[in-house]
Amino acid sequence: MSFTLQSLPIPNWRWIKDLVWRIEHAFERARAAGRAEDDTRLRIFVVLAIFSIAFVVLAAGAAKMVIFPDVSRIEAVGREGGLDRADLVDRNGAVLALDLEHYGLYLEPHDIWDVGETRRALLAALPDLQAARLDHALNSKHRSFLVGGLTPTAKAQIHDLGLPGVSFEPEQKRIYPLGSTAAHVIGFTDTGGLGLEGAEAAFNDEIRKTADPRTPFALSVDLRIQAALEDELTKAAQEFHPLGAVGVVTNVKTGEVLGMASWPSFDPNHPGQATDDQKLNRAASAVYEMGSTFKAFTVAIGLDTGVATPDSTFDARVPFHLGYRTIHDYHAAKKILSLVEVFQHSSNIGTARLAEQIGPKRLSQYFIALGLTRPAKIELKESAMPLIPHKWDDDAVASTSFGHGIDVSPLALSRAMGALLNGGTLVPLTIHKLPADAKVAGPRVVSEKTSQQMLQIMRANVTGGSGGKADVPGLSVGGKTGTGEKYIKALGGYSQTQQVSSFAAVFPTDGDAKTDRYFVLILLDEPHGNAATGGFSTGGWVAAPAAGRVIDRVSPFLHVQRQANLASLVAQTKPANPGDER
Amino acid sequence: MILFTRRVWGFRLVDVIGVGLLIALILSVYLAKTFAGRERGEIARVEAEIATEHNRVRLLQAEVAHLERPDRIEHLSSTYLGLGPVKTTQEISPEALSSVLSAKPTAVKEGRL
Repeated sequence: MSFTLQSLPIPNWRWIKDLVWRIEHAFERARAAGRAEDDTRLRIFVVLAIFSIAFVVLAAGAAKMVIFPDVSRIEAVGREGGLDRADLVDRNGAVLALDLEHYGLYLEPHDIWDVGETRRALLAALPDLQAARLDHALNSKHRSFLVGGLTPTAKAQIHDLGLPGVSFEPEQKRIYPLGSTAAHVIGFTDTGGLGLEGAEAAFNDEIRKTADPRTPFALSVDLRIQAALEDELTKAAQEFHPLGAVGVVTNVKTGEVLGMASWPSFDPNHPGQATDDQKLNRAASAVYEMGSTFKAFTVAIGLDTGVATPDSTFDARVPFHLGYRTIHDYHAAKKILSLVEVFQHSSNIGTARLAEQIGPKRLSQYFIALGLTRPAKIELKESAMPLIPHKWDDDAVASTSFGHGIDVSPLALSRAMGALLNGGTLVPLTIHKLPADAKVAGPRVVSEKTSQQMLQIMRANVTGGSGGKADVPGLSVGGKTGTGEKYIKALGGYSQTQQVSSFAAVFPTDGDAKTDRYFVLILLDEPHGNAATGGFSTGGWVAAPAAGRVIDRVSPFLHVQRQANLASLVAQTKPANPGDER
Repeated sequence: MILFTRRVWGFRLVDVIGVGLLIALILSVYLAKTFAGRERGEIARVEAEIATEHNRVRLLQAEVAHLERPDRIEHLSSTYLGLGPVKTTQEISPEALSSVLSAKPTAVKEGRL
């Protein structure tokens, strides 16, 4: 140490002494020289004044913060509440899903005095708690999570037990207050707040980004329409005991899904308790051979290509051979039918003859343009890929012209039907609410004239064809029945008894191309006829009535004026052969 | 410069004033911090209260949504009130009212319309 000190150079303090001396006598020198501004003490005073001003400013700032705190900061902290995900609401603001503060229960074994008492008390307070899990936490050497999702009431009850070593931490839990209502549209999340199905998965990132209760995420569905759709679908399912059922309501101009139901349903609050069958969104994830609803596409293509007009005639007197198939009519008219009659009688022969004239190339091009060969364009991740013919030849034409040999999801059918009915443009479906003045663009697939003709033909099918049971007094409803026989792999062919029965409806059919129109699809997978239907389980018997009831119930919500013409309400036109067509 | 030469209790006036200002500043900062601390505590309490109330509001919103489930309301209204969806025959526009009344005088008389 001494070596170090000795080795250091000795500072020359002389200059410091000289500096102090100069400062001390600066005043005298300045006065002697008549230059008072050089007085060092004046400089000291200036410095002191500057510091004083700085302190006064700081004091004033501190006082201001005390007296006028930043209100907006407090408000923001108080409201945000640490949400993980934004609230989901329907198009009218009704709550569909929201995060609620719950509590996780933690155990600190070192702080527990009486393990036996703690064990007994917790098991009594939490009946669903597994004893093995509790024992594991009690025997752990560290603080551990025991159970989550405790409601404030449950937390208060356990807290009141006064158990040492038991603590709580707040956590957010996703709640679906409507239970099973709109379950397949809303979907659900995992316990970590990650969307797994439905809108929760489709808009996962957006919902997380806008996690503020003041800006809920609005879906396109209307809860009133959704409820009516689910109610009628459930009633139809209870009456006809199908394997599953689907209901869809869309706005054909905007592509907004106003209601989407899949039966059976589940409670998204407890997705783990539901079977895969219940969780399956049949509207998006299942594909079906739709049967005769596809005739709407074939007829529209025939009109749009100029191959046929509404008055064109087709010979349906004898079975028709096309490709390897011999095509029969379910209800053989055995006469020459006009195009409208082909549609009304749902004639397979007439439709196949029309498809033959259209040709495989044009038919496939239209099917592609209508989006029937791809998953339905919608935000849902579960939108299913259709099953389409490998080769568009005469066999494929014969089959697909009346909905065989091509399996599409109900949403894909809804989207393509919308294009036929909205003036001719294929718009994407969406489950996100669009602005009121939104103009959705899409590629034109058929002309406006064809679209208007399809509206008239579909209306004619309800007033005098197979869709009579969907008619609603006071409303102009159009539609097409569909009954697709199911292909049974074990049989190596189509079943005569297992069917997919559906009804695709549109309302109102009157008005020009700018009129707001809505599409309704009801589909039942393997329904069973009963005495009331005469044993029939075709689309006209099991799906059309449900579609009519849905339209009747939802039209007031959609501001579709029902014409209160008592004469028309009383005198109902009987369809030509109601319900029992394919 | 009387400020620098005059002495009070043996100290130069400028020093006394400086010390006085310093004490005043220290006191004001202390008071400001004390008041700020008190206000911070109050703010924290109000914030906690807001958060609690906010959670209660959200809980109540969830409960209202649960109680107003369409299927529940429909079941209650049909079971206890005999209500159902509005039928077309129960709906008429004001413009059509006169023509319907004139067309159905007997129905009006019998109270069916």
